[in-house]
Amino acid sequence: MPLDTISTYAQTLLRQDGRRWNELRRITASISTQPSSDGSSLLTMGNTMVLCTVTGPREGRGQRDNTNATVETEINVAPFAQMDRRRRIRNDKRIQELQSTVSNAFQSHLFTHLYPRSTISISLHVLSLDGALLVACLNAASLALVDAGVPMPSILAAISSGSVTPTDDSSARPEPILDLNNTEEQELPFLSIATVAGQPGSEDKVSVLMMESRCQIGGANSKLESMMATGVDGCKQVRRKMEDVIRKHGARVIQGRK
Amino acid sequence: MKSLKRGLASDPNAANISSKVFIRSTKSGRVQKVVREQYLRKDIPCSSLLCSSCASTAVADANGVVPKFVLSKRPAGTKAFPNGHYLMPDTNVLLSGMDLFEESGHFHDVIILQTVLEELKNRSLPLYNRLMSLTRSEEKRFYLFFNEFRSETAVRRADGETINDRNDRSVRNAAAWYTSHLARATKKPPVIVVLTNDQDNRRKAKKEGINALSLREYVEGLDDADRLLDMVSQSAEGQESRALQGELFYPEYYSMSRMMTGIKAGTLHQGVFSVSPYNYLEGTVKVPAFDKPLLVLGREASNRSISGDVVVVELLPKDQWKAPSTQILDEDTLDQNENPDTEEQEESVVTENEKRALLEDVRRAHSASAETRAQPTCRVVGVMKRNWRQLVGTIDNVSGAGTGGRQTTVFLVPMDKRIPKIRIRTRQVEELVGKRIVATIDSWDRDTRYPVGHYIRSLGELETKEAETEALLLEYDVQYRPFPKAVLDCLPSEGHNWKVPADTDDPGWRDRRDLRNLLVCSIDPPGCQDIDDALHARLLDNGNFEVGVHIADVSNFVKPNNPMDVEASSRGTTVYLVDKRIDMLPMLLGTDLCSLKPYVERYAFSTLWEVTPDAEIVSASFTKSVIRSKEAFSYEQAQKRIDDPTATDELTQGMRTLLSLSEKLRQKRMDAGALNLSSPEVRIEADNESSDSLADVKTKAHLATNSLVEEFMLLANITVARKIQSVFPQTALLRRHASPPASNFADLSDQLKRMRGFELDVSSSKALADSLDRCVDPNHPFFNTLIRIMATRCMTSAEYFCSGSHAEPEYRHYGLASEIYTHFTSPIRRYADLLVHRQLAYAIGYEGQGSEVADESLRNKTKLERVCQNLNFRHRNAQMAGRASIEYYVGQALKARAEKTPGAAIDVDGYVMRVFENGAVVFVPQFGIEGLVRLEDFQLKSDEGTKRESSFDADNYRLTVFEKDREQQGVRVELFQQLKVRVSSEEKSGAREKGKRRVRIVVLSA
Repeated sequence: MPLDTISTYAQTLLRQDGRRWNELRRITASISTQPSSDGSSLLTMGNTMVLCTVTGPREGRGQRDNTNATVETEINVAPFAQMDRRRRIRNDKRIQELQSTVSNAFQSHLFTHLYPRSTISISLHVLSLDGALLVACLNAASLALVDAGVPMPSILAAISSGSVTPTDDSSARPEPILDLNNTEEQELPFLSIATVAGQPGSEDKVSVLMMESRCQIGGANSKLESMMATGVDGCKQVRRKMEDVIRKHGARVIQGRK
Repeated sequence: MKSLKRGLASDPNAANISSKVFIRSTKSGRVQKVVREQYLRKDIPCSSLLCSSCASTAVADANGVVPKFVLSKRPAGTKAFPNGHYLMPDTNVLLSGMDLFEESGHFHDVIILQTVLEELKNRSLPLYNRLMSLTRSEEKRFYLFFNEFRSETAVRRADGETINDRNDRSVRNAAAWYTSHLARATKKPPVIVVLTNDQDNRRKAKKEGINALSLREYVEGLDDADRLLDMVSQSAEGQESRALQGELFYPEYYSMSRMMTGIKAGTLHQGVFSVSPYNYLEGTVKVPAFDKPLLVLGREASNRSISGDVVVVELLPKDQWKAPSTQILDEDTLDQNENPDTEEQEESVVTENEKRALLEDVRRAHSASAETRAQPTCRVVGVMKRNWRQLVGTIDNVSGAGTGGRQTTVFLVPMDKRIPKIRIRTRQVEELVGKRIVATIDSWDRDTRYPVGHYIRSLGELETKEAETEALLLEYDVQYRPFPKAVLDCLPSEGHNWKVPADTDDPGWRDRRDLRNLLVCSIDPPGCQDIDDALHARLLDNGNFEVGVHIADVSNFVKPNNPMDVEASSRGTTVYLVDKRIDMLPMLLGTDLCSLKPYVERYAFSTLWEVTPDAEIVSASFTKSVIRSKEAFSYEQAQKRIDDPTATDELTQGMRTLLSLSEKLRQKRMDAGALNLSSPEVRIEADNESSDSLADVKTKAHLATNSLVEEFMLLANITVARKIQSVFPQTALLRRHASPPASNFADLSDQLKRMRGFELDVSSSKALADSLDRCVDPNHPFFNTLIRIMATRCMTSAEYFCSGSHAEPEYRHYGLASEIYTHFTSPIRRYADLLVHRQLAYAIGYEGQGSEVADESLRNKTKLERVCQNLNFRHRNAQMAGRASIEYYVGQALKARAEKTPGAAIDVDGYVMRVFENGAVVFVPQFGIEGLVRLEDFQLKSDEGTKRESSFDADNYRLTVFEKDREQQGVRVELFQQLKVRVSSEEKSGAREKGKRRVRIVVLSA
């Protein structure tokens, strides 16, 4: 049995992959990876890799909304993405929920009123999965939408955060940790959070918050509050990285035109 | 098209990221490739108080707290390392020598590497847990150094390198880093001492300039060396000279993959190996494929497995099937004169005597009558999981003729008869002989006849009360240490002055009914301090009765998941020994604040019924309450009060009502098919003047008031069980007693039929109860009880379970003939009852004090199942410990009697419970003991001291004992027969019996 976070964290303050509580995994991203699509991105967070292509905005077939564009999302987890090769069934309820979460997040985030009666389709391919499924999908979609040139007020950035509570001492304060990998997700309660930057001078706004595990919300040692605070900070870090990627890409594009 | 390939070289952080890739196979046999990221860093401190550079870079946690540095400034020195040293053990050292690391006088300032910790966890979870608790204790100063994450000490596995070599290298690497790191910090740095038993590793370390010692070499340099050396595991050195020289006694185990495929294919079977208490060479393995357990006969077939191990067995061909042995075999009597030192020269694993014993078996197997009863036999081909624990025993002084200071090998004979002798090496034979000793088994290799182990500690002189009690508690894994401070901190701060608040507006009174006006009393065994329950009954206006059972409200004091709750949950139950009680909850709660003592107000959890005078239940309700018990009776006092015609006060009237109702309830239960079972019960009466000597043994008297209390407790339990099951369909904590399979009774019903002509109908509990009632022998009134005792042993034991884990018809309690049952009435001494209290409080929507601390675990099925498992285990152990304690004291009482009036023999009645070819098991009801009677313990009319012989009639369960060539003058015993026996307590020469003061039973010639 490999070591686990809960029993050793309090003594070493190290997680099972050598990170501290507030450290992200390595994030790399590139945009315009698929010239054939309107916008595309390839994002890795540690060993999680997501490829995103955006089509649209284009005329939506059967689209009846006269004021807004609608956002459609399709998530596809490759059979080889995890340790065990397995084919996902088509109507996996969890994937469906993630799809609608991503759609809803961007539906309200993008300036959809500029494109009435049209559709924006986001298609996400998870090539490799080591935790943070929703988070990586949101970030990749965010970058691809920028690449597609869909107007938006700020970049939507997401991260997951969890909480470690030492088992032997119920009075100990829960310790938040940032950006969980798959083994940590199996072991600890965690939530996925996405924020959008507010106007300069004002706070970020939470646009997605999803928790699929059981966790104590109230009481003296509430885990939720510290997890949220850590998550919001984490989103800021992620957003900075994404902005870097976009700036570099922009610089290259301009250089190419000269 | 753009390439998706990520160029690692361009990444500035690439040097800090490594990944760990390994292949593992899952339980189902699939192979997985696991890839994990590893982030290498430089801010992992060395945690030495000498080092200032690490202190400045140490990182704080989310709350801004920097962990304290662990390793001391002035670590202890030894002869070899006068400047002090830090220890760095490798995995094998921890595996074999954890007891040494737990020593309080030595082994401070230890660096535990991540590599080692991870390997240890893979190899042994219990040892890992022990090590983790060491790392948490402040005085031991153990530091977890995550070397794999520090960039200087991280080690990549080289091509072609074995995982062991890689781990050894990473230990050396870490040691080298520590050495150079500390040299920079101070002028006279402490030495890093790597402990490893691997010679090759030590050689490499020397080459690299690292101090490496074997555990033995290190311990030799300590000042308490002699004692500590005994604790160094035998196998530790074994690793060095693993070259096998002697003969191999046992067949090799199959490889793991072969066993796995065999089990899957159904050709091999897996089960728990258990040894017969009467015959140490006969074991059984219960496997899921068959109804009846498979037999394992002889030492070669059991192939180094020890009772309790999970083993894999292979069936033997039909011509090797045998009937279970009818002989009593005792290791002591057979192999008394072995010498542990010369063992290697022995020819085979089976000694001559054992061979002879087996021969008897074969002869029997070949006889015609036995053939029909031959049972499938099997042999052990592998061990899935060892269940070795610490064992208590004594040194076999036959073997140890050692002279002081020199290391000698001796046999340690465990108290548990089913476990073979253990070879241990010691330098302190003289001190250890005649003491109770704790030891552990290290290994059992093919080239040793007996397992090899090492000494841990001594409990004290044999037959002293302290040593024997501690031995017993260790043997049954009872937690007997005093409650830690964290637990005591959970007690109410008022201590003994705590009172039910006088003001009824106090939050403590919220949602609590005031039942102080009721005439409540408690009835318990004499001298009972932890009073769980109290009762009342009163006439209602409509002619019905209101009956109330009031149970101590322990859940009011023990809040979910605080340290006290966790401790109680792990203890599971209070353990009652003859002279000692090991409490589940601290004294303050158990005997004072919760205990429903008379004349004071106490919180209670009450169940109230309205019953008709015919004991039909009209309605039931539950409420938390405050009561004030009017009197605490003992069973006898209560009986006297009820029988006293002059007592006409209301309390006595209420008790009479209770009594008459309880009789009706009992009758109803019996009509429904409840079993009236019996187990031998005796009471040890303590002599008040000197608490050390015990006056006498009495059989327990059963009074009507006993069943009064019993009936209402059963009623309360059943009523509560229904309620919580309706609210928690998946997670109610219930108790069930599975119907025993008819095959369990096969032997007993055959014996009854042949011997007495009674039929035992086991089709239902009702049928069984009726047929047990018919088993009456007018000449022997005890016969019926004897049959009931034997029937009880055929049954499965009752168990706690979580309602979601069984289908509803399976909830049934067979013995009580109730559809549903739980334990509610003794929360002071059973943890299950406490959980049921919490569930019931939730079920009735209790909103008073304490209800705001919601216990998630009430709804968590997996957690509850784990709790149930532990409770069942603790419960069983507590029972066995209690019985063993009585057995010991019966022996002591007999000894005391013999000392007071020497020469006065104790002649009593005994009954034959089992007949073997060379002896019988006789039960003595007066002392509640059963004992083996060997051939030499039969008193014959003409005793000339020649060799005893016997003839055994297996079909009629008859044994005739006679002296050679004098068959006519023999004594004949048969099953169920009543005998006159002489009971005495004597110290046996065998080491196993030693100190246990086994009771010797001699059958007198009538």
